[in-house]
Amino acid sequence: MNLKGGIKMQTILSLFSSAIQEQLTKLPKQNFELMEEIRIRMNRPIEVTAMGNIVYLPYIIRESDCEQIINKISQNSFYMLDEELRRGYITISGGHRIGLAGKVILEDGKVKGIRHISSFNIRIAKEQIGIAERWIPYLYHSEWKHTMIVGPPQTGKTTLLRDIARIISSGYKPLSIHPLKVGIVDERSEIAGCVNGVPQLTFGLRIDVLDGCPKAEGMMMMIRSMSPDVLVVDEIGRKEDTEAILEAVNAGIRLVMTTHGESYDDLLKRPTLRPILEQKVFDRFFILSRNKGPGTIVGIKDKDGKEMVRKVSVTS
Amino acid sequence: MKIIGACFILLTTTYLGFEAARMLSERTRQLRLLKSALQSLEAEIMYGHAPLHEASRRIAKQIDKPVGMIFETFADKLVIQLTSAKEAWEESLTEVWKQTALKKGELEILLQFGETLGKHDLIQQQKHIQLALTHLDREEMEAKERQVVYGKIYKNFGFLAGLLVVILLI
Repeated sequence: MNLKGGIKMQTILSLFSSAIQEQLTKLPKQNFELMEEIRIRMNRPIEVTAMGNIVYLPYIIRESDCEQIINKISQNSFYMLDEELRRGYITISGGHRIGLAGKVILEDGKVKGIRHISSFNIRIAKEQIGIAERWIPYLYHSEWKHTMIVGPPQTGKTTLLRDIARIISSGYKPLSIHPLKVGIVDERSEIAGCVNGVPQLTFGLRIDVLDGCPKAEGMMMMIRSMSPDVLVVDEIGRKEDTEAILEAVNAGIRLVMTTHGESYDDLLKRPTLRPILEQKVFDRFFILSRNKGPGTIVGIKDKDGKEMVRKVSVTS
Repeated sequence: MKIIGACFILLTTTYLGFEAARMLSERTRQLRLLKSALQSLEAEIMYGHAPLHEASRRIAKQIDKPVGMIFETFADKLVIQLTSAKEAWEESLTEVWKQTALKKGELEILLQFGETLGKHDLIQQQKHIQLALTHLDREEMEAKERQVVYGKIYKNFGFLAGLLVVILLI
């Protein structure tokens, strides 16, 4: 892996105590570079997932190891994490996300935060720059098409969405497409991987991100204040999202978004999405599946649900 | 010749007396500084949402030495070291302590306060700062009383002790 990968790993390694670092660097080089997840659980061995394979490292995590991680991500200031602990995850520089579990504290029946954190799930941000480039002919036809990416969890929807956002915001020279203003509403800090509001992953120049903002509200905020040409949103599906989408379309804004689902027919069954489909808001549907690895596009449909391409292709 | 010697003795003892009195007032001054430092820390944490090293760095700029020094060393240690905030705090206290006019009571309060640093959520952290402040208030009261009672005595005592020695020697 290139130098960039080297730097990336360093930011992750520096989270851990020296004992864990030592274990991780002992991994075979290939596993190390393809790491997807590192799971740290108190009194249990380290678990590393790479390319779907699970490896356990022979080191039992102690309390001091967990404390070290917390100290590191909070910069020795636990009180800084109030908001993150309420959501249950933290995004660190490099766009990596750390999921947390432990004792949950309630206040008035609502989750106030997590104390005594005993499990960490470090999801390593995987950028696949360029995976969307071959699909540009379907996405762009004298203008960007309203696009919906459909697929079950872990099929690479967000990765594809991110690359589309990158291409739109930086333009595409070969087809002389100019860069457009892209507004990302990133409720779970997954698209842009923001730290203190600054995107950590690769995008073009014309990018604005509302980090950690509820989708429906965020879309309206973007439309009102940032005048985006294209709105990028992850995992729509609630009722209020639908209203915001219709609002955005009427404001002349292009939409690129993802949603959970197995197929186009699945979407028709969902009452919250039906109004959008019936109004034929979206011009393109990308259907993803995990059959041949994440990022497999099994079909592209147009606004009437008619097949445009049906070929199985692995993009990653 | 005798008179010059006598003058020297008088000057020295008087100076010592004044110095002892100054230490008393210096302690109250530093306690006051320490309290305002902790109050700033509270504000930085509660309203500024600043991490400890940033907050300490800012406080170090606002507060005079040697109290400011404690926070400066603390910030440096936090950035460099892999240890916890508690250890960094303890180490900076022991390093700077000799330069201060503060006493053991304050040290205990600060060490206890260090145990809680960076380990709690906002509300808890604020409570711990408030607790340390209350303890320091008590110390300050006591320091002020001492200053009032002993300050003058020390000054007079220095001169008078010198005078006694001079008389004895003559």
